[in-house]
Amino acid sequence: MSYLLLIAILVVATLLGYRVISEVPSLLHTPLMSGMNALSGITVVGALLAAAGAITTGRRFLGFLAIVFATINVVAGFLVTHRMLKMFRSGGGSE
Amino acid sequence: MNYLLLCFAALMLYGIKLMSSPKTAVLGNALGAGAMLAAIAVALLEAGILTYPLLWAGLGVGTALGWVAAVKVLMIQMPQMVAALNGLGGGASALVGLVLALQGEAVGAFAHFTTGLTIAVGALTFGGSALAAAKLHGVVSQRPQELPRHAAVVTVVTVLSLASLFFAGRTAAFVQLILALVFGVLLTMRVGGADMPITISLLNSLSGVAGAIAGFPLKNPLLVAVGGIVGASGFILTQIMCRAMNRSLLSILTGRTTVTGTPSRESGLEAPTQAASACQWEQALAEAERVAIIPGYGMAVAQAQLQVKELIDLLEAGHKEVKVGIHPVAGRMPGHMNVLLAEVDVPYEKLHDMEAINEFLPGADLAIVVGANDVVNPAAMAQPGTPIYGMPIIRADLAKHVMVLNYDTQPGYAGVPNSLYEEPHVSLLLGDAKETLEKVLGFLRQPQKEVAGGRPSAEAGKFLSQAEQVIIVPGYGMALAAAQHQVRELVDVLQGRGIQVKIGIHPVAGRMPGHMNVLLAEVDIPYDMLYTLDEINPEFSSTDVVLVVGANDVVNPAAQTAEGTPIYGMPILSVSDARHVVVCNLDRSPGYAGVPNALYNMPHCLFVEGDASQTLREIISVLTEQG
Repeated sequence: MSYLLLIAILVVATLLGYRVISEVPSLLHTPLMSGMNALSGITVVGALLAAAGAITTGRRFLGFLAIVFATINVVAGFLVTHRMLKMFRSGGGSE
Repeated sequence: MNYLLLCFAALMLYGIKLMSSPKTAVLGNALGAGAMLAAIAVALLEAGILTYPLLWAGLGVGTALGWVAAVKVLMIQMPQMVAALNGLGGGASALVGLVLALQGEAVGAFAHFTTGLTIAVGALTFGGSALAAAKLHGVVSQRPQELPRHAAVVTVVTVLSLASLFFAGRTAAFVQLILALVFGVLLTMRVGGADMPITISLLNSLSGVAGAIAGFPLKNPLLVAVGGIVGASGFILTQIMCRAMNRSLLSILTGRTTVTGTPSRESGLEAPTQAASACQWEQALAEAERVAIIPGYGMAVAQAQLQVKELIDLLEAGHKEVKVGIHPVAGRMPGHMNVLLAEVDVPYEKLHDMEAINEFLPGADLAIVVGANDVVNPAAMAQPGTPIYGMPIIRADLAKHVMVLNYDTQPGYAGVPNSLYEEPHVSLLLGDAKETLEKVLGFLRQPQKEVAGGRPSAEAGKFLSQAEQVIIVPGYGMALAAAQHQVRELVDVLQGRGIQVKIGIHPVAGRMPGHMNVLLAEVDIPYDMLYTLDEINPEFSSTDVVLVVGANDVVNPAAQTAEGTPIYGMPILSVSDARHVVVCNLDRSPGYAGVPNALYNMPHCLFVEGDASQTLREIISVLTEQG
């Protein structure tokens, strides 16, 4: 995939993200942020590739650390968001 | 394959779209998690690295740590949790960049440059977030810290960082890493507690940006797309926070907006004001009908959210309209107050943003400020030249009366004395918010009894006078008090005002079948006004006021829920469906079946204690006095 195409993807994703996220009410801003924490853990994909390709022990360790960091982000991010979202209840008592 | 990856990104975006409403947000989050899992699986499969134990070890350790952290973290620790996760995201990207640089596989200037940039942005995010998390956790002082010649140091580090990006190789990678770490720390050092919402949002954005840039040397469109989305999200939040504090990002990062010294003019203000207003707030509280509650970071510090929840409940039990107004930057991160209040089960419909609460406040009788300072400081509108001038505030000062439950009268974070404290319609209740709220709650808990002579019946009269449809539910208590005459009188008064009145009779109300019908017929109430259980039950939901006169078990909602009690399963008159329920019973003790009446504790239930003929007379006189 060419760099130009990647730059185009970055621009489009950012603009789409901007539009969609603008609609999230301030009520949910904290869960939104922790949800974004989880998504920023997407780096785990890069970490897996980098760690798999590492050839020295030192680099492997750095790759391992990257996987751990990113996985914490993914798991804790989604879980904590879930915990928070579950707390928001309607006054109607439904659900 | 790349298209598949972009589909995952689209799924995550759709998940975020579902976050626009609390009803669908849980699903949206689950969707994002599912897409992430699929993305990881595809990455492992595609690269044929499924069998590397090192990778599984990393995933396992990360999952375990993340899981424990997410389950253990308390809601009040959410700001530092988010800050820490920002840092880990950035740190992971920086490490990816570092491994790539050390491997030296990148080809071409663009790949070298983006690898370096990944390291720099990631490390900056990590350094900044680590310090932010430490500040929020209280490990490090929340005050802004400065090095000697801070600005000069920052400039030098910035220039060196930027310059280092144009070098490639192993040494350059470590230099980039260390410079960026230092830069992140230098940046966050100068940011103090109340400016944290902006800083956290910015770091949130940067953690995404770092991931997006890491996608370039890896040529991975998923990283680029999702990183871009996260970057945009953090950017939006940063913008919103800046607007809400009326500050520019640059001024926050350069520590220019906060006054660090403690101005020394507040002494002598506390004692007299507090003494003078001690009696004011009680009256204001008792009389208020429209109440706004404005929480701030002080509520979080005192962990007084449970007390705030009880305050809302008690006020609503007294039939007051209560709204909670939340300033965008109240607390330490976007939505901080919302999360704390959601945790204690305050329904989100009660939480209003600044615009909505500012429309409510001019007509409000009472504003209760709980641990909020700068965000309600009218000086933001009146005193040009102060750091908060121009910042949009919640206009607590517009309410008829204001109760301020703050720790002290020190200026808030911005260092500008709060001119609200000096206004005549303001009562200051100083001290730990938890304790002062308990004082207020104590007052609210006892008034029913104290003012029993007049107030509840006056309140009941008011509800009745405003009603269009009223249902009266008599019980054995009416017979005991011989209150049927007053019921008759009340029916006449209400009908004279054009109010539709029906009477609902439970089959077992009283001591014999048809007991109530007989008593009411005795006082010449036409029988076509009397309705049976099945006839009247659908009507309650469209009824404004239900007046219960001496009935207990037959209106006890516990009959539907309290298994094992004698009344469980008994059909009841579903009076709680009505908008208001007024109960004229002798006392709150359980009825014949010995099961406490759950109705009495419902927020829309007004209890008028006493002999029914007496309390009905009072209600009637309230109605007739009104003309």
